[in-house]
Amino acid sequence: MIRIEKEAWQTMLQHAKATYPRECCGALLGTADARGRHVVIARPMRNAYDGPQQDSYQLDPTEQLAVEKEARALGLSVVGIFHSHPDCDAYFSKRDLENSCPWYSFVVLSIKAGEFDHAKSFLPNFDQTAAEQEPLEYMV
Amino acid sequence: MPKVIIPTPLRPFTNQQDAVELPGSNVGEVLQALTTQYAELRKHLYNDEGKLRSFVNIYLNEEDIRYLDKEKTAVKEGDTLSIVPSIAGGLAWPL
Repeated sequence: MIRIEKEAWQTMLQHAKATYPRECCGALLGTADARGRHVVIARPMRNAYDGPQQDSYQLDPTEQLAVEKEARALGLSVVGIFHSHPDCDAYFSKRDLENSCPWYSFVVLSIKAGEFDHAKSFLPNFDQTAAEQEPLEYMV
Repeated sequence: MPKVIIPTPLRPFTNQQDAVELPGSNVGEVLQALTTQYAELRKHLYNDEGKLRSFVNIYLNEEDIRYLDKEKTAVKEGDTLSIVPSIAGGLAWPL
């Protein structure tokens, strides 16, 4: 279960719409316990993919280090990663899975014709061979 | 001793420490010391064949060790190692 606070959710939507029709990406900062993850801050990040970004994204490791540092300073954790699928449903693609990491929730936003359509969150396994969908709740 | 910065999702396995100083003359030795001291970290960093998982990137100070001497990269007092997961993807190729 991942729950996203209103301000963080709005940041995610704004970033996904602003980068449309390219994919956006970013980090989700919050807390985690046995009940799930709770996101209080969303940090938009640069899509570092060196090629057409309509169907691809890549995080910049330098930015990842900076976001980790920020999370530690705030007493939070990086608990998730988000990215968008422009004009496409919010599934976890083979490419998403093969380039994922089991430490995080992966929230995918479907943006169709520049507007938010729906979102899903996934938990990839260690071997990057499967990802379970987890309940996603966001405050609007 | 070199210092390893622990990413936030892995802190529960290092007694919530965000950085750990460990002995070792190269990256591999330091990571070995890390996963010996904190055994639960091992499955997060290494696969069953004892190799670093494909999504685990290690940075020595600001440099990716893949472009240095990989796990044989020498480390010295005051160096900082960071564990940074490699993350990418995109809408292509639905499962």
